[in-house]
Amino acid sequence: MKTTGRPLFSRTAFPHRFRRFLPGLALLTLLALPITAQEIVVSKDGGAKISLDLSGISAPGSAGALFRQTLESDLRRSGWFSLSRPASYAVTGTCNDRGGSLSAQCQVASLSQSQVVMNKTYSDTAANVRRMAHKAADDIIMAIKGFRGICSGRIVMVGNRTGNKEVYLCDFDGGNLRQITADKSISLSPYWSASGTHVAYTSFRRGYPDIYLIDLRSGARNCIANYPGINMAGGLSPRGNEALMILSKDGNPEVYLKDLASGRLNRLTHTPRAGEASPVWSPDGSQIAYVSDLAGPGSPQVYVMNRSGNGRRLTARGRENVAPDWGANGWITFCSRRGGRYGIYIIHPSTLEERQISPDDTHYEDPAWASDGRHIVCTRQDGRSSRIYMLDTMGDPPVCLTPNDGNWFSPAWSAQ
Amino acid sequence: MNIRTICVAILVCAMAVASTGCKRWFGKKSSTSGLPPSDMVSGPGLLGEGSTLPDRGAFDDKSLVAGQFESVRFAYDSAQVDDTERAKVEAVAEFLKGNASSMVTLEGHCDERGSNEYNMSLGERRALSVRAYLMSLGIDGARVQTKSLGEEQPKDQGHDEAAWSVNRRVEFVVVK
Repeated sequence: MKTTGRPLFSRTAFPHRFRRFLPGLALLTLLALPITAQEIVVSKDGGAKISLDLSGISAPGSAGALFRQTLESDLRRSGWFSLSRPASYAVTGTCNDRGGSLSAQCQVASLSQSQVVMNKTYSDTAANVRRMAHKAADDIIMAIKGFRGICSGRIVMVGNRTGNKEVYLCDFDGGNLRQITADKSISLSPYWSASGTHVAYTSFRRGYPDIYLIDLRSGARNCIANYPGINMAGGLSPRGNEALMILSKDGNPEVYLKDLASGRLNRLTHTPRAGEASPVWSPDGSQIAYVSDLAGPGSPQVYVMNRSGNGRRLTARGRENVAPDWGANGWITFCSRRGGRYGIYIIHPSTLEERQISPDDTHYEDPAWASDGRHIVCTRQDGRSSRIYMLDTMGDPPVCLTPNDGNWFSPAWSAQ
Repeated sequence: MNIRTICVAILVCAMAVASTGCKRWFGKKSSTSGLPPSDMVSGPGLLGEGSTLPDRGAFDDKSLVAGQFESVRFAYDSAQVDDTERAKVEAVAEFLKGNASSMVTLEGHCDERGSNEYNMSLGERRALSVRAYLMSLGIDGARVQTKSLGEEQPKDQGHDEAAWSVNRRVEFVVVK
């Protein structure tokens, strides 16, 4: 058994995957695609998984146990593997704690080809044992699957456990949760820079909704927009030099582009009868997806435009389509209200092929892609509380990432 | 021979034009399939622009009075000031006419449904609608600023239509 499932790296990924594990349904679906509405809800099983044997890892002591446990959990959560025997690959190695200083070694061997495909060493302080395990997990994914894992990525989000909405960071598995703002007001809509070094967000800390840019390395924070009216943060460009934002200073909420070095503002939409929200970049920075209710009052839809501002409506089904996020795989995920429920969908901007990703009738909102093109973080309403979940476009069950205290909102996944 | 060369050149040019033309045409078709032309975002200024908002500085360090005037309520997902709500705005206009040194901050709010970010825009548009009506009643726009709170500060903590209808509002905060 070799590499099976693939993330949605290209438009052709879906047919390939369907053919592999749902041959009958795939054929019907492919035949039906051009004729029926392009919405497919597939009940899936997480895709075929590659079996790994981790029994050869020797990791004594509490730090070693945590290394092994984190590595195992990461590889499971990545969705690509089952930890079972007989295995296709064996992961062997050691993790030793010498007075608070950790050193680990990991080797991956393909059992079918009797070949070592990875051999790496790691060192860090015992306090960073989880980070070291995330790194090793990503290296193992790279060695076997040939693309970067998401285990070293971080999630930025808003939480209200202090009584105020503040910005928080956590690891991809919800661990290492830390509060990064203490504005004691309302914080909204954090967005990552592609480099993973900056977060743009909206805060009422001076009484009005203004946009700030936090440098996570130094902790420095700069106000990048405090015009009259609303200033709502949008996506940061792939190169990190431009910020999308919603401003109403000229009399109506519109999409603007701000060059962060020169401060120059470029207005992109002109819709006096409509409001815009949630502008985000395409992966190459050439296009922008955003929300507008231009099509009719009370019916926000996802639009796409280029940098000169010529927009076209993307979503057609559903009265409310909001909160787009454009994945590295080319697909746009968004939240749609259908049948009175908010759910997570993905749409391809060229083919307009659409799929539902949220697996049940709970309210799911505010999706954001992981860099693997497979997973999505979003909020889920459990009763009256809002928590962050990781969804899998290939069918593994949703995983909750946030603690039970407080409500959690607006997650975004770092590319790094 | 010369003529043949020219003919070939013309043919090549024609084919090039035809192929790029097709590509553009198909590209455009696939991008707008099934959507009425009114859904296209058009160029600037067709419907007139909103009025530029005043600087915040004039409103800072002043005393604020909230609750003096009744909040304007809105229909779901609407930013339009309904006929039944106009008298509330007119009362504020009368007050501002009689109190030349007073200004007003319009705080726009939404119910909890829908995305936070869209609701921030919707709350702002509700405040802007009330501001436009005040200006049509003769109030100088420099005396009226807007502030959206989206769905962040519901007045009624309930989760039903009764609560939502109370929460879809613009509050008047008088600045003296």
